[in-house]
Amino acid sequence: MPIELYRIDDRLIHGQVVVGWGQPLDVAFIVLVDDTVAASDWEQDLYRMGAPPEMELFFESVTSAIARIGAYQSRAEPGIVLTADIETMCRLAEGAPGITRVNVGGIHHREGRKAKLRYVFLTADEETRLQALANRGIAVTAQDVPSAPPVPLTEVLAGAGL
Amino acid sequence: MMFVLHLIPLTLLGALLGLDAVSFPQAMISRPIVAATLGGALVGEVGKGLLVGVILELFALETLPFGASRYPEWGSASVVGGALFGMQPDVSPGAIAVSTFAALFTAFIGGWSMVQHRKLIAHWAGNLREQIAAGSTDAIISLQLRGLTSDIVRGALMTFVALLVFVPLTKIVLVTGTFDTVSARNLVVAAAGAVGAGAIWKVVHTTKGAPWYFLGGLVAGGTLLFVT
Amino acid sequence: MNETAPALPIRTRAAIFMRLFAVQGSWNYEMLLGNGIAFAVEPALRLLPGGRGGEAYRAAMKRQVGYFNAHPYFAGVAVGALAKAELSGETPERIERFRTACCGPLGSVGDRLVWAGWLPVCSLLALAAFGLGASPTAVVLLFLGFYNLGHVWLRAWGLRAGYRDGLRVAPALGTPLLRQGPAHVARSAALLAGIALPVAIRAIIGPERGSLAAVILAATTGAVALARLHGRVEGWRVAGYGLAAFILFSVVR
Repeated sequence: MPIELYRIDDRLIHGQVVVGWGQPLDVAFIVLVDDTVAASDWEQDLYRMGAPPEMELFFESVTSAIARIGAYQSRAEPGIVLTADIETMCRLAEGAPGITRVNVGGIHHREGRKAKLRYVFLTADEETRLQALANRGIAVTAQDVPSAPPVPLTEVLAGAGL
Repeated sequence: MMFVLHLIPLTLLGALLGLDAVSFPQAMISRPIVAATLGGALVGEVGKGLLVGVILELFALETLPFGASRYPEWGSASVVGGALFGMQPDVSPGAIAVSTFAALFTAFIGGWSMVQHRKLIAHWAGNLREQIAAGSTDAIISLQLRGLTSDIVRGALMTFVALLVFVPLTKIVLVTGTFDTVSARNLVVAAAGAVGAGAIWKVVHTTKGAPWYFLGGLVAGGTLLFVT
Repeated sequence: MNETAPALPIRTRAAIFMRLFAVQGSWNYEMLLGNGIAFAVEPALRLLPGGRGGEAYRAAMKRQVGYFNAHPYFAGVAVGALAKAELSGETPERIERFRTACCGPLGSVGDRLVWAGWLPVCSLLALAAFGLGASPTAVVLLFLGFYNLGHVWLRAWGLRAGYRDGLRVAPALGTPLLRQGPAHVARSAALLAGIALPVAIRAIIGPERGSLAAVILAATTGAVALARLHGRVEGWRVAGYGLAAFILFSVVR
């Protein structure tokens, strides 16, 4: 079964992911791709506490994720791949085949970022990177929870949802 | 007029209980079963306050205050509901239905007022943005105090306006309407029971074994109906 | 990493604990709990070299005021851990990463344990007491007493565990009580609901029992309908519309 959701969300594991997407998609596992978290045991411990006991959690660096993505994609149960930032997702998409859709779930306010949606704030550089993802033929949309309508990248970049 | 004497204490109570819902101290004195009982007590009818409180508590089981979502504000609304029902004469067909409706409506507007309050705080935060981002203690404490104070004002306004509207309105409706005591009460109780039971089911049904515990409880509760 | 944070003086501890009760005082859609976290951790930061207003203090305040989200009762875990991290000289980067990583667990554990667990349990306990004829004072005190026993204990436990374990607080959140607790609390809520709902309905109806069976049947049907629609409609709103229609009908007929 292919991965149900490739999501960029700077909060990584939290309610919207675990309950909001996890329940309707019947998600059995989450692959958290982040070079720093993959090397930090105390952060992994914290993220593990954010998921219910029955949900499996895997921590990968970008390199190890690219090596193992095939195995995750061929698992029987549905799963989610998460990154905290756009750059990580871009590096993953460059190395891993089979990513056709990317979900922007939450990139929050920080200095230098401009508001695009209630839950999406982007720097000019990040806008270019998202555009580059789309140019590779990947469908990029913003959507925080399944009950909200997905917003196409062009509308996100235009700030149409504000 | 008795109502005017009650207005100030009820407004103060509504202000405090409205504050408890989110801002401080979240000890759940804002839950209907407490707030409506206190509202009733202030007009000298603690038992009638509790009755409305129990009905509203069943409704409130459905609206748990999860984070950023929008939910009704029960604290000041329940003060209004409990006091309103307490003010009606003992034999007053329809009073329970009208008081419950008034509380539900106030809770709905209260939920809206909380969203406005949160936007107001964001606006103040925007004005203080540079000082807050620089870690200014004065700005951080000032924002905290402004948020708390304005929430007290919000609860007071909610209670005051709701009483001002619903006390005379209830009188008019009860005088002009033809209510049947039994059907008014049964309608309210059935609706509250349905919402409360549905809400508990929604929360617990995914837990392994919980439906059996619920059934077991029902058997015990049903037995109690016969033996007590 | 340097593990030498001082023991917090009683006065500091008490000040933080009191402030935790107002941690949501400036909740807003931009920072959520961020400002409240800085407000609550501030008394501890006065112990940094240079004291209140010193360079270290100001730098720490700046870090602590950013976006933060958690269940309010579990915010103390973060505040305790962040105080420990600041006082033991953790790097800003690690503190930043901790703030990001603990929002998820502190939110979901709290939501499941308190909002979807302890609160309904205490509420149903009070409804059962009302149904079995307890006095108004007894019902209110039973509810507030039980609920706040759990509430205040959780806040105190959180602050202590957070300050004791610092950034490595995750195992404390993994204790059986917090990990398995929600399931036990949910089963208790189910059991209590079964007992409380029929007796509470009977007590509201009062001495006249003729319609009890019909009301319970109507409530059950309504509950099943609401459960089947799960989440798509809010029952209390539907009830509000229904009551409005009933009142309008009684006035115009």
